[in-house]
Formats: sequence, C-alpha cells, structure tokens
Amino acid sequence: MKGELLKIEHLTASYGEEPVLKDILLGIGEGESVFLVGESGSGKSSLLRAVLGMENLTVVSGRVLYDGKDITAAGGKQRRELLGREIGFVPQNPAGSFNPLRRYEAQIRDIMGSHGLTWDPEEVTEILEKLDLKEGKKLLRMRPYEMSGGMNQRMAIASAMLLKPRILLCDEVTSALDTTTAARVVKELGMLCTQRKTALLMATHHLGIAARLADRIGIIKDGRMTELGDTDRILTAPREVYTKQLLMDVPRLGRGR
Amino acid sequence: MKPSVKDRIKRQKLKIVISSAAALLLVLAALAAPLLVPNDPYRTGSDLIRKAPGGAFPFGTDNLGRCVFSRVLVGARTTIGVTFLLVALSFLIGTAAGMLCGYYGSVLDELLMRIADIMLAFPQMVVAIAVAGILGGGIAGAMAALGITMWTGFARLARSHTKSIKALPYVQAAVLGGKSGAYILAHHILPNILAPMVTYALTQIGTTMIGISGLSFLGLGVVPPQAEWGSMISEQRAYIQIAPWAVLFPALAAVLTILVFNYLGDAVMDYRALSKNR
Amino acid sequence: MKINTPVRRLFLRAAELIIILLVLSFLVFALMYLAPGDPAEKRLTSQGIAVTKQVLQAERERLGLLRPFLVRYAEWLSGIVRGDFGISFKDELPVSGKLLAGLKNTLILSAGSFFLSLAIALPLGIAGAVLKDRIPDHLIRILSFVGNSMPNYLISVLLMYFFCIRLRLFPVIAAGDLKGLFLPALSLAIPLSSRFIRQIRAELLSQLEEDYVTGLRLRGVKESDIILKNVLPASLGHVLTILALAVGTLMGGSVVIETIFRWPGIGKLVMDSIKARDYPVILGFVLIMGTIYAVINLLADIAGGILDPRTQKKGE
Repeated sequence: MKGELLKIEHLTASYGEEPVLKDILLGIGEGESVFLVGESGSGKSSLLRAVLGMENLTVVSGRVLYDGKDITAAGGKQRRELLGREIGFVPQNPAGSFNPLRRYEAQIRDIMGSHGLTWDPEEVTEILEKLDLKEGKKLLRMRPYEMSGGMNQRMAIASAMLLKPRILLCDEVTSALDTTTAARVVKELGMLCTQRKTALLMATHHLGIAARLADRIGIIKDGRMTELGDTDRILTAPREVYTKQLLMDVPRLGRGR
Repeated sequence: MKPSVKDRIKRQKLKIVISSAAALLLVLAALAAPLLVPNDPYRTGSDLIRKAPGGAFPFGTDNLGRCVFSRVLVGARTTIGVTFLLVALSFLIGTAAGMLCGYYGSVLDELLMRIADIMLAFPQMVVAIAVAGILGGGIAGAMAALGITMWTGFARLARSHTKSIKALPYVQAAVLGGKSGAYILAHHILPNILAPMVTYALTQIGTTMIGISGLSFLGLGVVPPQAEWGSMISEQRAYIQIAPWAVLFPALAAVLTILVFNYLGDAVMDYRALSKNR
Repeated sequence: MKINTPVRRLFLRAAELIIILLVLSFLVFALMYLAPGDPAEKRLTSQGIAVTKQVLQAERERLGLLRPFLVRYAEWLSGIVRGDFGISFKDELPVSGKLLAGLKNTLILSAGSFFLSLAIALPLGIAGAVLKDRIPDHLIRILSFVGNSMPNYLISVLLMYFFCIRLRLFPVIAAGDLKGLFLPALSLAIPLSSRFIRQIRAELLSQLEEDYVTGLRLRGVKESDIILKNVLPASLGHVLTILALAVGTLMGGSVVIETIFRWPGIGKLVMDSIKARDYPVILGFVLIMGTIYAVINLLADIAGGILDPRTQKKGE
C-alpha cells in the first residue's frame, strides 16, 4: 500500500443520539481513488462530512488523520486552510453550494484568494475545457442560478481542482444529472484526478460507476464499512451477502464497458 | 459545545413559565387594583401637592396632590385592560375574517384581502392618529383607530393557515365526505390554527400597549383625570423638574409591563419555532 | 408582444398605489363627514365670536360644509390633482403651504433619526449575527430587546429629563440647528434601531444558514469574504424592505416627538389641527404621509427585484 494521505481510525460519529458512523476504518494513499458505495442514508455522505469536520456531526470516538496529523477536531484557521487547498470537496448539490446571485468569476477569485493563489482565467478555461465546457470565459460571467445542473456540477469540480488539492472528496456528484451526463462527468473527473495525481474519495449509490474508476471500493451499510477491498476483488469475489446483492442490481456489469 | 435541541426546548419552557408568571402577576395586580390602592387615586389635595415618595405615598404625589402609587396601580387596569380588549377584538374579527376568506376564497376573499392590503399600505400610527383625532379622542376612538389596521395582521395569518390546513388530505376527505363548511371550520381548522393565532396575539400585546399609551399621551386616547400611564406621563411631564417621581414611576411601570409581555411573546414564538424544527 | 417585466411591474404597482390612495382618501373623508364636532363652531368660538344659529349657519355655508358629501369629495379630489389641498379652517391659509413647510422639518428629523438608527443598528446587527450566542451577542440582544419595548414618548421624556434638566446639555425646546435635532432624533432612533438590530441580525442569520455559506466554507473561503462579499449583499434586498417599512413607524413617531420637542414639523401641525378640528390639514397629512410611505416601499420593492432577479422569475 502507498503512503497514507488520509486515514480514518475507528471513527464513530452521530448527529444526535444514534450513531450514523460506526467504527469506520479506512486509509487512502496518495493518488489513489476509493469509492464508497451504499444506499442513501447508509452513512457514506456522513463519512465525508466527518473528514470535512462539518459542525452538526459529532465525532464520538476515533480519529481522522491527514498527512499524519490528527484533524478530527481541527477548527478555525487550521481547518479553513485545509479545506479546499488540501482537501477539495464537490458537494451533492453544486448549484446550492455557490452563492446563487454572484458571478462564478467573483466566487472562484474569492476561493483562490482565500488560499493565497492568484486568479488566472486561462487556467480556469483550460480545466473547464477538459470537463467538456466550452466558452469558459462566458460561463464565468454567469451566475449559478442561470445555469443547468450539469454546468454547475462541472463548475464545482473545476473550482475544486483549481486549488490543486491532494485529495478530492465527492458526494454523489451524479445525483443531479441524467445518466449519460453523469457517466461522462465522472469519467472526466477521474481522468483529471489521474493526470494530477489527486487522490479521490467518492460517495455514490451506483456500484456501476465505482466499478469503472475506483482503485478500491468500500461498501457501507447502516453506518458500517461492511466490506473494503480492491475493485477487482469486490467485483469478482465479494465476501458479504450485501455486496453480492448490490452486484446483482447492476445490470451487465463488466469492466471496461 | 452547542446545547442540544432538547435542552434548548427545556430552557425555552422555563422562560415561558417565568414570563407568564410575571405577566399573570401584572394582570392580577391590575384586576385587584381597587383593593390594593393605599389612597384614592382621584382625590386631590392642595396640601399634598408634589410630595416626595415616602410614608403614606410610596411613589409620592403628583401636581394635584394625588397618590402616584395608587394611580399607577389603577392605570395598570386601564392600560392592560384596554390593550387586552383591543387585542382580543382584533383577534376575534381578524381570525374569523381570515378563516372565512381562507376557506371559501372567491369574491369575499378578494374583497377582504384588498381592504387589508389598503390598510397595510399606510403607516399604522399615522392612520391611528388621524382617525383618533377625527373621532375626537376617548378610549373607544383610540381603540377603533388602532383596530382599523390591527385586525389585518390576524386576518392574513388566519387566512394562510386556513388555506394550508384545508389542503391537508384528511380535511379534503371531510370535505368530500359531505361535511359542512361550518363543521370543518369548527372541528378541523379552528383547533389547528389556534396555537399560531394565540402566539401572534401575544406578540401584539407590547406593540398595542405602546400604541394605546402613545395615543393617550397625545391626548387622543384615555382622557384625564382617568389614570392611564401614557396620559399620566403626558400630564405630569411639565413638572418633571420638581416632581420627577410623578413621571418616572408610571414610565417604569409601562416599560416593565411592555418588557414582560414582549418577553413572553418572544419566548412562546421561539418555543414554537424550536419544537416545529425538531 | 412581450412587455419588459420590471417596467410592467412598475406600472402595475403604480396603478395599485393610486387606487389605494383613492380608497383611503375616500374613507378618511367619509370619517370626517361622520365625525363628531363642528369645525364651523370650533372656528367661531376660537375667534371669540358669539355663536348664534344664524352666524353658525353662515359660517358653515362659507366653509362649504353644507353641500352634499360626494360633491365635496369630488371638489377636494380635483383640487388634490392640481396640488391644491384646500383652505385651512383655522386661518384660511392654503393647506398645501402649511403641509410643505412642516414636511421640510419632518424630513430633516426623520432623515436624521433614520441615519442615526442605521449607524447604531448596522454594526450591532452584523456583530450580533457573526458573534451569535457569544457574550457580545447576548448584550446586544438585551439592549435591543429593551429598546424595542420603550415607547418613543417615554424615551423622549426621559432624555429631556436627563440631558436638558439634570445635565443641562441641551435646551428644553429644540432649536432648528444640529444640536436641537439630536435629542428628538435620538428619541426616535432608540426604538427604531433596536428593531433594526433584531431584524438585521435575524436576516443575516437566516442568510448564514443558506447552503452556499456552508459550500463556501468547505472550500476554505475566508469568513470575512463570506460575510462582506456574500451574506451582506445577499441580505440587502430584505434589509431594504425592512427599512422601507420602518419609515411608517418613523412617521407615526415623529408626530409624538415633534409635539414633545415642539419641532415645527408636519406632525406637530397635525396635532394642532386635530385640536382645532382643521379637517383639510388632517386629510392632507394622511394623504402626504401615505403617498411617501407607499412610494418608498414601491422603490424598495423594485430595488429588491433588481438585487435578486430570481424573485421576479418566481412571480411570473
């Protein structure tokens, strides 16, 4: 296994009384892509939230380590400098994650400025082109509410990748998109991460998508990581009944389409 | 760490208990004022003019030698009583109008809501002052002047709640089941809109008190010599330099009472918001 | 053909405004018609003329009080269109001149207390929202709660007592200068700013709950950027509505404050006119205040639509 960039050690967390994450154990290496697969409400998004340190989720026990440092309870400036710059995030609802009434240019400028990076329109349009968005300059002058879900999604990916994070967290990036667009966006995202050697931790309910892009797959059910292993192994020799069920739900699943 | 919703609800409940106890105390004091007063609040005496607080006159005497403490107590009766009456009337009229509009809709709804719009298109106090002024002052005039705009708030709230409750499946089922409008309004709508309506009424008490005593202060409400805090302050403020107590005690009573009722209103509103989000 | 939406909205609202003013003026006119008290008698007694039946009837005739109600209303209305508010019953001077003279002073007082309120409320409201549930927030909330529960007449009496009588910092009767403006403006500004603080704080807090704020935080955007460049501009539309509605409170309050401080504004004028049953002035006052209030709210509404184009789309 490669050097571990992000390590989650025996993490248990809750929103109130009942824990939504139970004793999660996961390590992600530099440049590696790990997909968390589970139904909605299984806890896969909560795992991402725990890594991001979102306020309403309380860590009961366990730790989150980034680059060897314990960031479980990191707050304030330390957390802010980590978010975006080191740990990128593409949320489930990208349109809602930007100020709907401000031009993308202004918002991306702020994001970069907050991390001491300089704004370069060429760099932005280049990334947008890689994500299949032409006329990037025009798009940057638009506001989120004026754009379609797919466009906003790619804007969110682009703005995350611009900061050159070492790991990118994605939460159900496909839920706002139709199936064809979803497949394309995820493929583009995967290529971008491989090119830049960015590690990827993606939560999805779609085992088929994970099968194509993941180095490793973790199956999450009721807040527990029921199975974790290399993609090939999970697909060809699943150990848990639940994993087998999930595999059966994916029609005509074969690697490499 | 942030307190949990449960703890916050508990704290809100405590706030409601404390402030409603204080409010109850004020209302009781106002009701029992005639029994509690140490002196006749209307008896003047040339030998008792502007006596400092102490002895038989805990709050001193005013410019006409009347006992300020007794007047503050009896004034509570007027101010709180008139306020309650006005809020209750606005509540009844507004809620009834809002329920009818929300339930039956159509022309009646259009008409009443247009009237409400017109009332709201004007600053309340401006209308109140003009109307009270034209009506020539007096308690009834002041109440009418404030009430003209006040019922609209109740009506709008009752209307929107009625509309959303009417759309609920079980109410729709009752409608289709042939229950009469009056039956549904009484059995399904009213019990469900009562809580938000009463909450709104509570939040209106402080504002109404400010309005009533403000009109009385201007001489457009309660007419002297009847004791009312606003008119007492207005009457005695010319002598504030020599007898500040005759102004400061009614002022204190007014502020305290408004504070208590505003606090109660806020507490109930926050409590409802909290328990709704749970 | 498609008409430009904002322009259409403006026309619709303006038409609505005119109808509202017509209805209200009719109601107030009707109320005066039915009101107790006789302006003619009031005028005669105030001039020290012995009131006999004959004299009274002649006076009523002269003031135009005997003609049918609708005729009087129509005449009055046609005058308004030409900017003529009629003749004062009290001294037979044109009402429009009286109102304009008072209006100037009222505007000075209102503008003064409005900006004073904003100067107090903006920083405190923002601080309360940003420092929510911390000690400064608690203090600000207590302060604004108490301020919000103080009637303005009471505040002005207390301010007068402490500043003019106890400390002798100000004259009891306000002079027309900046120093004279301070206490009346402050009397209006204390309750108003308290309300603003609560409303601005609540508005900012609801903005801070928006998803995009979390989104920006998760991208590591500086908190100052989030507040200054996103949350504040986004709340501007709602804050403008809040401020426009407060103009109504200010108008009612200025009547009280002008009476107490003897500030020669339109509020003091209307109180004097009420005592004299000088109906044309009262009617003019309601109409002018109503128009100003409605126009300000209309402008705030339009500004809100420009600031947040989404609301217009929804309204379609």
